[in-house]
Amino acid sequence: MKKWKFSVNAGFLGKRQDRFTQYRPDRPLEDKIRLAAQIDGVEGVELKYPQDFDDAKLTQSLLDGHGLICSAVNVDIKDAAFFRFGALSNNDPAKRRRAVRLLQEGLDLAAEMNIGLVSTCPLADGYDYPFQIDYSDAWGYFIESIKAAASYRRDVKLALEFQPHEPHARILLSNVGILLHVLDEVTMNNVGANLDIGHSFAALETPAESITLLARKERLFYLHTNDNTGDGGDWDMISGSVHFWHWLELLLTLDRVGYNGWLGADINPKHMSADQAFAANNRMIRKMIELLDRIGTDKLVEMVRENGNSGQIYDYLGKHLMS
Amino acid sequence: MNKLAIISAFLGGVKNRYMVYEPERILAKKFELAAKIDGVAGLELCYPADFEDLSLLKSLLADHGLGVSAINVRSRRSGKWWRGSFTSANSRERGEVVDDFKIALDAAAELSVDRISTCPLNEGHDYVFEMDYLKAYDYAEETFSAICTHNPAIRVCIEYKWNDPRTRCFFASAGETLSFCQAVGKPNLGVALDFGHSIQTGERPAQAAAMLARDNRLFYVHLNDNDRNFDWDLMPGAMHFWEFIEFFYYLRILGYTDDWYAYDVMSKEMDTVETFKTVVEVTRKLESLTDRIDRDRMDDLLTDRDPSQTIRYLYRSLL
Repeated sequence: MKKWKFSVNAGFLGKRQDRFTQYRPDRPLEDKIRLAAQIDGVEGVELKYPQDFDDAKLTQSLLDGHGLICSAVNVDIKDAAFFRFGALSNNDPAKRRRAVRLLQEGLDLAAEMNIGLVSTCPLADGYDYPFQIDYSDAWGYFIESIKAAASYRRDVKLALEFQPHEPHARILLSNVGILLHVLDEVTMNNVGANLDIGHSFAALETPAESITLLARKERLFYLHTNDNTGDGGDWDMISGSVHFWHWLELLLTLDRVGYNGWLGADINPKHMSADQAFAANNRMIRKMIELLDRIGTDKLVEMVRENGNSGQIYDYLGKHLMS
Repeated sequence: MNKLAIISAFLGGVKNRYMVYEPERILAKKFELAAKIDGVAGLELCYPADFEDLSLLKSLLADHGLGVSAINVRSRRSGKWWRGSFTSANSRERGEVVDDFKIALDAAAELSVDRISTCPLNEGHDYVFEMDYLKAYDYAEETFSAICTHNPAIRVCIEYKWNDPRTRCFFASAGETLSFCQAVGKPNLGVALDFGHSIQTGERPAQAAAMLARDNRLFYVHLNDNDRNFDWDLMPGAMHFWEFIEFFYYLRILGYTDDWYAYDVMSKEMDTVETFKTVVEVTRKLESLTDRIDRDRMDDLLTDRDPSQTIRYLYRSLL
């Protein structure tokens, strides 16, 4: 099995709240970066633009000081003050330009920092009610905005992250199929995917299959590791804590498709301490990789390629993992 | 006809984990907004937020001529009771929540309100092996029993919900909650049926209402809607039109007719007052459509159990 580098999403090291409760107060950027550096096995940190880049030089020196790499610039295009009725798909051309400009600024920043990767999750672009938006207009604007952002500079990758719902009952970019469609429409090889494993479960997908579909187009740029109950909510749980077998399958698949990006992480620490939650996530993933190495992945893949073999596969997994 | 109330918190700040749609509003402003919505006769007040100054609260109620459908005791508080209070493994925390409920019950008595509602959102768990379920049920029975004993004249309603903020709340369905109330055995412990929560947890709300009413534990009703994936607190009828018609039909049969409906509807991007004006109009419209169903005819149809005839009758009579 390949060895991947671990990164944490710094947003999860700061203020944590849901509609009901605030769990954690915010931390200054310096504290987030210091905390990230203390987490077992972490080499990178995903930072948010514009919030974490008020002073880009200072941000870079904080990273350098703690021996961390910025794994991706995560451009935030969901601020309700501007994007109440959508960002990339907003009816108002000025609002769309604002969202596109933020992405372009993020691309410049990623280039300056030699990261080459911007990630964005367009959560403002969605709806709650039937008859709320004109899907045809909205999708037209959405594709046009992605094209405008990504064509600005082709030397930086733009990784789009889908999520089925929240904060709207339905997000436009809601599953891997729609994302693949967007990639076909945009036809620029610097536009690809940030696959959040929990979002894939929330969208009722099998992440190993979604990984394969994206990798076949060479568009799997980045990953968010986590887990979910699979019944709708996006809980950002510790990887493998719910879907243990699926997690083994998706790690095996990442190895098979030759994924060489980061293992980023969106883990909601909630009642736990943030560093312990992320450390547990990384240890779980490393342990699962170790288990796969122990099983012998060649034999497993060989068995998978035969029809009607599920019984034997679980016997094999059980024998090698649980004895 | 049931009177209409809004849960005061839904007239205040609107936020979720990503966005802030509306900043928090002071209590007087919430009353001012409620008074602008024709057809709204009262508020469901939130404890402790609305009770910082009881004399102010009394004068706001009097000045705006608004009633109180219930007092909603919030058991999820930032900074405390993180792993639940009714079911907390810590006996001090369980004592605290009982003491706090006693204050709320006394405030209810002072305002002549005979109903306390609570949605134990923070009871529950995120991960497997997080909670000792056996002990949690024992603790919950003890705490709710103590709360109900404090003033038997006030009904205490548990509002069940599948998830959020926990990946699994402790009281997730009408069945679980009813069974719990029966185990506690206090006549003043019952259930608040939130239409959206019932939908999200996979129920037919009319069936849940019937089950609860058979045991005299359908204490209270909240109205809103969602798409079953999550508790979005959408406007009633926006998703589950026919389920609302069936629900209202059954509430009339069950005698929940001279009481309150309370709304938890998130106005989100929309204007708060306009949202609730629509919600009121839609509720009354759904009720008047329900009234077009002839009771005797429906009795016959329900006896025959032939949906090909029932659906035809409903479309012909209502639309």
